[in-house]
Amino acid sequence: MRPGCFLFSWARRFFKAVIVLSLIVLSLVLFLSGCGVGSSGSSALKGKIKISGSTTLLPIAQEAAIEFSEKNPGVRIEVQGGGSSVGISQLRSRIVQIADSSRGLKGDEDDGTLVDHRIAFDIIVIVVNPDTPFRSISSTKVKDIFTGKIKNWKELGGPEKEIAVVVRDLASGTREIFDEKALGATKVKSVDSAPSAIECASNGVVREIVSSTKGAIGYLSYGYVDKTRVKPVMLNGISPNLENARVGRYPLARYLHMFTQGRPTGVTRNFVDFVLGDEFQKDVVSQEYIPVRLVERKGK
Amino acid sequence: MSKKESNGKLRQIFSASRSEFLVRIPLFLCAFLAFFSVLLIFLFILKESIPAISCLGLRNLFFSTTWRPNVSNPRAGSYGMLAFLSGTLMTTFFAMIIGAPLGIGTAIFIDQVAPPKIREITRRGIELLAGIPSVIIGWFGLTLLVPFLAHITGSSGYGIAPASLVLAIMVLPTITTLGTEGLKAVPAELKEASVAMGATRWQTIYKIIIPAAKESLIVSTILGMGRAIGETMAVQMVIGNARQLAFSPLERTSTLTSRIVTDMGEATSVFRSALYAQALALLILAMCLILLVRFVTRSREVTT
Repeated sequence: MRPGCFLFSWARRFFKAVIVLSLIVLSLVLFLSGCGVGSSGSSALKGKIKISGSTTLLPIAQEAAIEFSEKNPGVRIEVQGGGSSVGISQLRSRIVQIADSSRGLKGDEDDGTLVDHRIAFDIIVIVVNPDTPFRSISSTKVKDIFTGKIKNWKELGGPEKEIAVVVRDLASGTREIFDEKALGATKVKSVDSAPSAIECASNGVVREIVSSTKGAIGYLSYGYVDKTRVKPVMLNGISPNLENARVGRYPLARYLHMFTQGRPTGVTRNFVDFVLGDEFQKDVVSQEYIPVRLVERKGK
Repeated sequence: MSKKESNGKLRQIFSASRSEFLVRIPLFLCAFLAFFSVLLIFLFILKESIPAISCLGLRNLFFSTTWRPNVSNPRAGSYGMLAFLSGTLMTTFFAMIIGAPLGIGTAIFIDQVAPPKIREITRRGIELLAGIPSVIIGWFGLTLLVPFLAHITGSSGYGIAPASLVLAIMVLPTITTLGTEGLKAVPAELKEASVAMGATRWQTIYKIIIPAAKESLIVSTILGMGRAIGETMAVQMVIGNARQLAFSPLERTSTLTSRIVTDMGEATSVFRSALYAQALALLILAMCLILLVRFVTRSREVTT
């Protein structure tokens, strides 16, 4: 044993450890400061907004959060999904400031304190593969198809071809509304979709599968209907367009909401105003839905 | 550094108890953390699935094909997972029927038949296959396999068949790589003796090499199965995500993994717990496979 050598190697190890540790600390500091986006903004607006709720609205809410905090670096916005019911119950217990919802308030949720901000209008369009020779389907037939009673286009007078039903997953607000308005589901009694139905996580996937699968039928949000890839069908002879939906002739339509606890104040108000503002409605909302002012202006 | 000096250093590391201690503690922590997380995951999944087991009963949960989740009132739904369990087993079964012969054949080719250059190319290709993310293989299946199957069978194209084909591709690297290692471990003397006795190359392969490497080929296949059972993304993209029990490879259904991924977003209370019970079923399947591997390797230790 050479004690000097031992000490020396200890010292070297010690310094190595110090260097490694300081590197870790440094990277942690850098990482954390990277996370704290906008903590040193020059804008007058400062604050924090928490949003949760409908997964249908999630992309729009996220886009709004990004654009809003780019303009107001002092504001931090957290957006979460979870579903409309989760968002509303979190808003009522004041965990979040804004609840996204793809449906209106129901039952005991409506205690008079929540304020509704309609931020978009959506029409659910039934689409089929372009090879399918139908232009209109009756609502009873739609129900039979989507619950699996009718399995072949032959039963509707079409060609001998299996119907491939394409639906959204259970987390989808679009599915909730479709089940309710087209299949007659209620809060008490849900309706089972066809056992062979293909469940998809997004509008885009539904469109993809319907456009590529012969004999497929599905439903899409209005903004996703691309007539070069899928064929929209009329319901009871009524075509799914803005005018028909607005006056209530076409039943598969709904508003998308943001709820706040009382009239919004502070940054929350600025945020809601931003979402309802012309710029955001035109640039973002219209990509997937119908800007809400377009519906209400025409209604007046 | 002279050899003598480096020898001295080595001895210092292994004899100086303090430095050994310094090495041993982090290594022990690594092992402990790995074991601890496995234990934690198992206990967590067990705990989370208990509400479903106690509320629905084993029969309604594991041996029923009725899957009718109810989002707004979870207790009113039915959560039988048999259709998805069968989906998992069927896709894995068909995947192994295609994948195992392919993988073992490739392993034999690489180890015994191929000239060095081609061997190198094949091996690199297989290794590359292992590195392809599953979502890409799934996308390949979605855009090529599904329309192809729809065209030749007249069905929608989604279902167990494309899922099995996709999985067969994905288990190939596991089976081939491990199989090649197993074949490589067969003593050269065996092969030389066989050839010296006048056996042809093919006779040597199927009478000497394959029986000698049998256990490791089986183990490689079992580990490939483990990969197939757990694969989620690629399968979810092509299996059709239906909730029915499938009886033919051309029918749409779901696997346990794809069902968990599809439904976990909105699942609460019993529904959520039922999904954890599916995870538990998966975990038990995986544990059975590991036990099978142990069993196979132990029988080899006994026989030789």
